[in-house]
Amino acid sequence: MSSSEVLRIATDVGGTFTDLVYLHISPKGEQQIGTAKSDTTPPDYEKGVMKVLGQADLDPSAVDFFAHGTTVIINALTERKGAKTALITTEGFRDILEIARGNRPDFFNLEYKKPKPFVPRYLRREIPGRMSYKGEELKPLDFSGLPAILDDFKADGVEAIALCFLNSYANSKHEEEAVQKVQELWPEVAVVASYQITREWREYERTNTAVLSAYVQPVARHYLDRLHRSLTEKGMKGSIYIMQSNCGVDTVKSAREIPITMIESGPASGVWGTAALGQIIGEENVIALDIGGTTAKCGLISDGHIKINTDYMVGRSQTSAGYPVMVPVVDLVEIGNGGGSIAWVDEFQKLHVGPQSAGALPGPVSYGKGGRDATTTDANLELGRINPNYFCGGTITADMDAVGKSLDTLAKKLGTSRKEAARGIVRIANNNMVNTLKLVSVNRGHDPRDFTMIAFGGGGGMHGCALAVELGIKKVVIPKQSAVFSAWGMLMSDLRRDYIQTRIIELDDPKASEHLNESFGALEKQALDEFTRESVDPSKVEFLRYGRFRYQNQAHSVEVALPDGTVEEALIQEIADNFHQVYEREYTYRLDAPVELVGFHVVASADVGKLTLEELPASGRKIKDTIKERRKVDYTDAGEQEAVIYDGSLLEPGMRFTGPAIVEDPGDTIVVMPGMQCHVDEYGNIHIQTQGGTR
Amino acid sequence: MKESYDPITTEIIQSSLQAAADEMFAAMRRTAMSAIIYEVLDMGTAICTKDGELASSGAGIPAFVGMLDKAVKRINEKFDKPGDIKEGDIFTTNDPFNGGVTHLNDVIVLMPIFAEGEIVCWSANIAHWNDIGGMIPGSMSIDATEIFQEGLQLPGIKLFSRGEPIQSVFDILEANSRMPDFLKGDLWAGIASIRAGERRVLEIVNKYGKGAFLHALEEYMNYGERVTLSALKNLPHEKFTLSEEQDSGQVYTVTIEITETEFIVDLLDNPDQDKGPFNISRDSAVTSSQLILKSLTSTDTICNGGTFRPLTVKTREGSVFHPHRPAAMGIYYEVDVRLYDLIWRALAEKMPERLPAGGFASICGTLFGGIHPDTGRQYSIIEPELGGWGGSCRADGNPAIFSGFHGETYNCPAEINEARNGLLVDRMSLNEEEGGEGKYRGGKGVCIEYRIRSDNAWFTAAYTRSKFPPWPLKGGRHGSPNYVEILRTDGSRERHSVVNALTLNTDDVIRVMTGNGAGYGNPEERDIELIKDDLKNGYITEEQANKYYKLHKRVKVEH
Repeated sequence: MSSSEVLRIATDVGGTFTDLVYLHISPKGEQQIGTAKSDTTPPDYEKGVMKVLGQADLDPSAVDFFAHGTTVIINALTERKGAKTALITTEGFRDILEIARGNRPDFFNLEYKKPKPFVPRYLRREIPGRMSYKGEELKPLDFSGLPAILDDFKADGVEAIALCFLNSYANSKHEEEAVQKVQELWPEVAVVASYQITREWREYERTNTAVLSAYVQPVARHYLDRLHRSLTEKGMKGSIYIMQSNCGVDTVKSAREIPITMIESGPASGVWGTAALGQIIGEENVIALDIGGTTAKCGLISDGHIKINTDYMVGRSQTSAGYPVMVPVVDLVEIGNGGGSIAWVDEFQKLHVGPQSAGALPGPVSYGKGGRDATTTDANLELGRINPNYFCGGTITADMDAVGKSLDTLAKKLGTSRKEAARGIVRIANNNMVNTLKLVSVNRGHDPRDFTMIAFGGGGGMHGCALAVELGIKKVVIPKQSAVFSAWGMLMSDLRRDYIQTRIIELDDPKASEHLNESFGALEKQALDEFTRESVDPSKVEFLRYGRFRYQNQAHSVEVALPDGTVEEALIQEIADNFHQVYEREYTYRLDAPVELVGFHVVASADVGKLTLEELPASGRKIKDTIKERRKVDYTDAGEQEAVIYDGSLLEPGMRFTGPAIVEDPGDTIVVMPGMQCHVDEYGNIHIQTQGGTR
Repeated sequence: MKESYDPITTEIIQSSLQAAADEMFAAMRRTAMSAIIYEVLDMGTAICTKDGELASSGAGIPAFVGMLDKAVKRINEKFDKPGDIKEGDIFTTNDPFNGGVTHLNDVIVLMPIFAEGEIVCWSANIAHWNDIGGMIPGSMSIDATEIFQEGLQLPGIKLFSRGEPIQSVFDILEANSRMPDFLKGDLWAGIASIRAGERRVLEIVNKYGKGAFLHALEEYMNYGERVTLSALKNLPHEKFTLSEEQDSGQVYTVTIEITETEFIVDLLDNPDQDKGPFNISRDSAVTSSQLILKSLTSTDTICNGGTFRPLTVKTREGSVFHPHRPAAMGIYYEVDVRLYDLIWRALAEKMPERLPAGGFASICGTLFGGIHPDTGRQYSIIEPELGGWGGSCRADGNPAIFSGFHGETYNCPAEINEARNGLLVDRMSLNEEEGGEGKYRGGKGVCIEYRIRSDNAWFTAAYTRSKFPPWPLKGGRHGSPNYVEILRTDGSRERHSVVNALTLNTDDVIRVMTGNGAGYGNPEERDIELIKDDLKNGYITEEQANKYYKLHKRVKVEH
């Protein structure tokens, strides 16, 4: 093979499917993007990965770059299939894990159950020693009790140990010493200290983060090692990267050490793909809408920036406080509302959709695998929005009799017709998603009318236009690789790490600039050292700096971008002015009060050769030659209309058409409302102008 | 002829109303200036019908859910002539005798929403303001004997007229607070919040039409009522009476009567109003009753005026649950939580399969402050505490969780307390005292030790359930009490539950002890494996295992 040939692959293991996207550049420089999809194979997820590779007929030995996203971590946590974990913490604080924050989301429920800690009380042990909030040692660590504690842990079959000491965000010395001591005394055990993951304050959140990371570490190592082995056995020599929740990729070595950062890898790459595609098509303000089989996820990109939060919750819901994980995760909101969501009528004759899902088995009624409860997908079939004769790309014959029966059951309870029941399901599902989209936009101070929506996943094209109309969004874009868009996003990722540290500096302190230089310098040096150790060319590493500021004594802070280089004293006033501005934009008022910096955030990234898209060729095919048929489609509010059905795989750049229309392609159905104008851009993405369209 | 409306549209309007109240909540949180609003979430939002029935609410605290409808009703009563209420008017009240419900610190702003020249509903917001004047900073004093000492009273007045702010009212408000900047910020946040509600409601009305909107509201109330009625059918139809002595020595009495269609709370037989601030308004007594009715009948989040239609509350004017002006009400929350716990207990004793045993059931309001030793600035802390809940017929009680009055609110991390307030948190653990043993045991309260790092700090607290601990069910053991210990540097200890402005000096320790919830069922019937598990985890000692659970005897017998 020629040295100029390039093969880059991304694989994304989801709940139901394992997706693959590849980019191949031939020795002549021709670019080809291909996709494949295969079933996910728990518990040996790597088998599904190898299968989808085989399906795409790709030669592993030719791979230069392999990116991978996985649900292994989140599954181990939600199914409680991690290691037996113990905790060592500061004297007086072993119950922090059980006290948590005392909140109760299901507040009318007098039998609410607080989430059970991942470490039982007898495996939570204390050792003396204390740091102050300023990072000064108040009392040295006393290891005299440690050997006996570890003996107890051994006797109890502990496999992993988490360490978290009070105020370690300000000074990690005690945790570093303790990790070393534990490793000396018990080299075989997996041990994680909180400082290795986060340097932010809030002892419960930090302790729980260390505990959850220790809990999944053995599982993650095992999985990553098996995946690595399977790939190298097939001759793969290229670099393997693991998708992280902060929208970047990281090395396998680093992922093995701190696996908890992979927790939302799939959804993060979807948001990242949205930001990247937005950049390509010139849209700085975009809303990501990812509708899968079980859930819908929404994210928002403002001025080209993704927002990274460190307040991620595992298992948080209306009925559970969940478990906090203090790692950088892209800001997104998820609801139990996807194609497989089950419609049901309660005892008071009210129709609901989700959060229960028919899953992969039995799946929607139309799959004919024994499902009896109508789902959103079944309603879309009944309304002619999905083609029963081209269901799942023609691979499944939709069982329309069964669909009719299941809808009749609902219709009877509601006292209405089959068609009205189907319309009701779609309208309620849409309304659920509209409310979720408001959470990421309106409720965070953004007006959705200023945004373009990029809709993807199995149901993105089906619902995107209707949702956009509801929210006043003027344009919807359905990406070319819509069905495997999260994997596509991974091909666009950089090697990226977020370094976040809590440290309080008052801006009117005469030494403020000195402190800023010190902290940014230390974080950037740490990043550079780590990257260099992993053989990344230091000249390729780029930094972005942010400060988290607030008015003195406030609880919430605002993140403001800061320039790189040495911070001169004169810059401090500029920073404060900048903060007042950003604060006022977000909170509608400003105060005449001192400003303090409470946290540093450094993003270190290095380009590891991400995808550069080339324009698709056009054969000169006419739009009329892409028409498959015309059929009646029910547009709910706009009623039944005769729609033109286009074959998505035949669409080419430059083509234009107007709704009512449906675009069908093996992995995707796009529902275009009457009057909406569509055009295909030079990369094959479909742009839909929603104005002038009706629901 | 009555128009017929599509039931799905009706349902979408209803869930959009809920989304509107949530959006109002988010808007308030985003724009409020005081930590007690944006952090402790001591606030609530609501959309109400034109007659003042609750349609939907956004709240962090369940006790705030049923507050705002009462304000609308009082405004409607006061401005009852045609044309009194005009488009663009905004009203405000904080007066518990005039729809303000709680205490003067909680200020409500509300506005009518007009469509086609007619009021279609109201948008309202309540939030705790830091300081509304009165005899001490923060306005709530346990020494107050008249409401006049608790700050400025706003007895349901206009704040805006036809969209224009009434400047003289704003001037009076500002002049009467020790923290006028915070007051202004929080007031405008409240206005922004109710306007967000107005915008959202008008969008719904414009999209679906006024008729469909009003029909959906009416149907929503009917739905709420159907849910309650359906649950009432399955409850025992009888009378439940309970008299309970309080820490203060007063005896509170309640009789609840449940029928097929009614839930009647009779509070007629209760003490005369308190001379201090331990009183609640009649409206407040109603919200306490609503809260327990809601939890008993459905834990669903849908909660509206219809939910409470079957409820009747009887109170006696001049009593602690229905005082005359000028009764003080600053510490209303402890009386309110007592009443809530009293009704719960009266019912639980007769239907232990439906309600858990008693928990620590106090706000445990803890207030202290002084000089930050490192920055030299004043700090002050106002916090409710976590405690243990009682066991139920199905499970052990929750450890370390806010009382039934609080909900989705968060405690303050030790690390933030140490940095922000310059104290040392020596301990934050579960309460290891005994109490709450049972077949299903109570959850553990907490033990928090705050070490003061500078001289001349002050400390104030108002805890109840300190003399009489949480009550058990079916032969379980009572829980443990709520109290505070002050550990002085000379080795002396003082125990307190209600205390005003105590002076503390460097290295004095405030030890907060909140109650372990009470037990359910005879401890001797507890599963042996659970007892062993409790022993292994140190939730009980060997001695307690033998004394209360008879572990030694039972293990011997079984082997």
